[in-house]
Amino acid sequence: MLKGTIPIADKTDAEVQDTLRGNGLNLTVEEARKVAGLLGRDPTIVELTIFNTMWSEHCSYKSSRKILRDLLPTQAPNVVMGPGEDAGIIRFAPDGEGDHYCVVIAHESHNHPSQVLPVEGAATGIGGIVRDVYCMGADVIGVLDPLRFGDPAGENAAQTLAIARGVVEGIAQYGNALGVPNLGGDILFDRGYDENCLVNVVALGLVKESRILRSRVPREAGEKKYRIILVGKPTDDSGFGGAAFASEDLAGEEEANRGAVQVPDPFLKRVLSVANRQVLDLAEERGFSIGFKDLGAGGIACVTSEMADAGGFGVKIDLDRVNVAAGSYPPAVISCSETQERYALAVPEEFVGEVLKVYNEDFELPHLYHGAGAFVIGEVTGDQDYRIESGGEVVCQAPVKVITTGIAYDRSRKPRRVLHQEPVWQEGRSLRDDFLRVLASPNIASKNHVFRHYDSEVQGRAVLRPGEADAGVVAPLPGEKVGLAVAVDGNPFYGMVDPYSGGALAVCEAARNVAAVGAVPATITDCLNYGNPEVEEVFWEFTEGVRGIGDACQGIGLISEEGHPLPVVSGNVSFYNQGESGKAIPPSPIIACVGVVEDYSRCRSIQFKEEGNIIYYIGDTEGALGGSEYYRVIYKTLGADIPEVDFIRERNQIKTVIEMHRLGWINSCHDTGQGGLLTALAEMALGGNGQGKIGLTLDMDEFPGNSPPVEKILFSESGGFVIELSPGREREVLALCARNRVKLYKLGSLTPYPRLEIMSGGKRLAVWELDELRLVFMTGCLDIFGLRKGA
Amino acid sequence: MSKSFAGKVAVIQFPGVNCEYETVAAARSVGLEAELFRWNLDPGLLEESLAVVLPGGFSYQDRIRAGVVAAKDHIMDKLSQLASTGRPLLGICNGAQVLVESGFIPGLHWERVDLALAPNVMADREGYYCNWVHLRNERSPCAWTSSFREEEVIPVPIAHAEGRFVTDDTGMLEQIKKNGQIALRYCTSSGLVDPAFPVNPNGSMENIAGVCNREGNVLALMPHPERATWLRQVPEDLEGEWGRKRKAAAGRNDRMEDEGPGRRFFASLLSGKGAALPGKGSAGGISLLAEKEGRE
Repeated sequence: MLKGTIPIADKTDAEVQDTLRGNGLNLTVEEARKVAGLLGRDPTIVELTIFNTMWSEHCSYKSSRKILRDLLPTQAPNVVMGPGEDAGIIRFAPDGEGDHYCVVIAHESHNHPSQVLPVEGAATGIGGIVRDVYCMGADVIGVLDPLRFGDPAGENAAQTLAIARGVVEGIAQYGNALGVPNLGGDILFDRGYDENCLVNVVALGLVKESRILRSRVPREAGEKKYRIILVGKPTDDSGFGGAAFASEDLAGEEEANRGAVQVPDPFLKRVLSVANRQVLDLAEERGFSIGFKDLGAGGIACVTSEMADAGGFGVKIDLDRVNVAAGSYPPAVISCSETQERYALAVPEEFVGEVLKVYNEDFELPHLYHGAGAFVIGEVTGDQDYRIESGGEVVCQAPVKVITTGIAYDRSRKPRRVLHQEPVWQEGRSLRDDFLRVLASPNIASKNHVFRHYDSEVQGRAVLRPGEADAGVVAPLPGEKVGLAVAVDGNPFYGMVDPYSGGALAVCEAARNVAAVGAVPATITDCLNYGNPEVEEVFWEFTEGVRGIGDACQGIGLISEEGHPLPVVSGNVSFYNQGESGKAIPPSPIIACVGVVEDYSRCRSIQFKEEGNIIYYIGDTEGALGGSEYYRVIYKTLGADIPEVDFIRERNQIKTVIEMHRLGWINSCHDTGQGGLLTALAEMALGGNGQGKIGLTLDMDEFPGNSPPVEKILFSESGGFVIELSPGREREVLALCARNRVKLYKLGSLTPYPRLEIMSGGKRLAVWELDELRLVFMTGCLDIFGLRKGA
Repeated sequence: MSKSFAGKVAVIQFPGVNCEYETVAAARSVGLEAELFRWNLDPGLLEESLAVVLPGGFSYQDRIRAGVVAAKDHIMDKLSQLASTGRPLLGICNGAQVLVESGFIPGLHWERVDLALAPNVMADREGYYCNWVHLRNERSPCAWTSSFREEEVIPVPIAHAEGRFVTDDTGMLEQIKKNGQIALRYCTSSGLVDPAFPVNPNGSMENIAGVCNREGNVLALMPHPERATWLRQVPEDLEGEWGRKRKAAAGRNDRMEDEGPGRRFFASLLSGKGAALPGKGSAGGISLLAEKEGRE
């Protein structure tokens, strides 16, 4: 007998609306009626709650799915698993025994939770993303955090600082305790994020192809009895409605929304991860097929129904058998709460005892955390029904296919017309002073202070750490030559001027970052952060951004296998990023790129290595300053002329730099991103830890006579690379660049004098002592992240 | 189906530690046999072990205070018996916190808590701090540093929020100095013991990075030698001899598995004479280890 149905069919829209809101549901009236239509009757509160999550923007991709499917390439020869499950997977190295090592990558946002509860929001962001990787059967080998905060000196400065510090603390607390190294990330500030910060998180995992686990009830469940085991933290009401919360505007109800933020527990996660590994190894040893999935959005109901659907079975869950925290919770809460640190397993009956023993006895979960443990909460059924019982009564019963039915909207879009203008050029400015101001900008200044708060060393795989190079590099397989490089990027200032370029250039920059250490870009993930998709201009920005990403993936392509695109294997869409004022955040597609390098010992830091070495620039001298930090800091404008999108040029430059790495020519390399060429040179002189002592004399006469003003060359953020080579390679280098059709400029040579000097026509345009640059660069973010007493 | 730990290095896996796999790999890198020892196994299995290591992490979630809950765990009775009869015992980071909280270190009055590992005190920041630092090997009876030269500079990473060795008992401090129990001090890349941050990364008294017991078989060490066991782990930008060595090995993958600066903490178990043993190659990596264990 079905218990507690909610009348929908015979009620007016206003009444349905009241019922929905009264139950804290975000479904629209039409959606509620659609649920009733699918079920062929009025839904129960549990069913409505399930659909409320499943049809949230966060879970359903109802606005974005069609655009993503049409515009993003997801197939390439190295792809093992593209978008669709919790994480994407690519092959990166054969194991010599017919199997392959694979890298698993997942990318998520935790924006709204971090805005209302920064420490917990950012921590559960890591907690959630690592589960997505663990549940593929992988070990997590690193995380990265792309962060966007408001203006630290703007109207909302106090809140911005509290959020920025809280988020960094949350990332540190969770990642450090879990024992997963931080591999990088980036941090940008703009008043466009004053009311809605962005906390994205990327996790990388390592797994052999044959050991990849699927989030589904295995085929074998057709032949023998399978049980559903829930393991982890006792279910409570924390994070109830979290996915729906992520799918609406932040409208000043921060207090009320705090209950929708989950409570993190990295300790329990660590113990669970170790125990999980034993269970997975045991299953492999015994030859049992199992299904394994983490509990995220929508909790028990969403996860078990998706596992059932993917396997083509039914499932029956008994809520009375779920371990709950102290207190009693209604069935809808137990079914759909997003309590952290839980996993679901589908295991054969005969294996149940061993699995429970590992969790409950060997690792003593019930002793380590009150109420934690592993429990059989249901069984796989041969029919196609998804059924939940509570207190002997059925609270949800429907064909699995109905529960997992998607929903899609065709959103309309309309270009946002904003007139961007170039500023009036100011002659006679002080290059010396202007550069110090750019270098001190929080968007440019060193994030070393933040990186040192994260554990970059745990697991012992680090080769290049956050800040030391454009990409983090690990040696994933000790004793093997192969390395993995990973970087994140997404410059919102291009997107503000032109959302298509914002998407395209984010891919280019992320690919350039991994190429700068010599790795071949192998895949990307995208986290697409935008405003309310029901607003036509926002949906246009979104579509343009995705189009840019897709075009860049095609244009740069898979360099290791010509003729294929750089595949997008995973990602996330985060809409409704806007605060009380209703103003959407800047279009913010953020890209993570994973690269594979055949020999990690050739990956070099950005720091200048040796006096007498020659510094070259691979790039252009068009001097586009639109969206640059120079314009933003000095001219207080975005400008209009953003760097041109030219995929052929990007591809050629990337190929050239990778080839130079392979030849062993490169002593240091840095891409020219934010702050432009001059900033890149200063960063190389100072090095990631600000300890560099080798100087450079830069000769502007190397650039063609009709070049734009020096500031345009030195501060333009159009892509390129600075490379340090030993003397005597000039002819080979020129030949290689000519063959690859890239422009090469010799900038000067490294000197024993700790200063950066710019010459033109035999005259000195400007000079900075490295110590003076060091002070500005290393302390520029200190007031923001000053994790000091009383701050 | 209990494993034998006879002749092996047992790496104790308290719930919440997170450096146990790489610590096992580091011990194996010098040719030692090493295995994980889950905290609730029969402590009697440790009787024939070669040595015991308490790895880093957050045992029992650092509840109450870092290391204090593990220090009360029943396995510590066994470790107390083994350590007081000369069995080598190393506590790294959280393991060092456990050794201090259990009163094994400094151990002048066995099992009396005489030292504390207090929250870091640093310029411009507080809380957790992860970076490479340099240690100076001091003259000491320590069994875990016996293969380093006196005053040798050893770069290794630290990663902790509570690593500041403190005591208000100046008489006791003088005593442990006199006994040569301050086995390692934070120093510059050229070996200068400078009390200022970041050379002294946490404000420890006397720049203490590691303290051993009077007999030298027990060492509480805040830095992580297992993260500096292979040359590939050394940052090429690091100042000093090891950074230069790493830089010179760029592009030479065959050198990457060479000895790193921290390996000799483990090699000291094999030889008091300072000759580092050739590595067996790495067994490292969580997944590989886990697979190996599964197969065994």
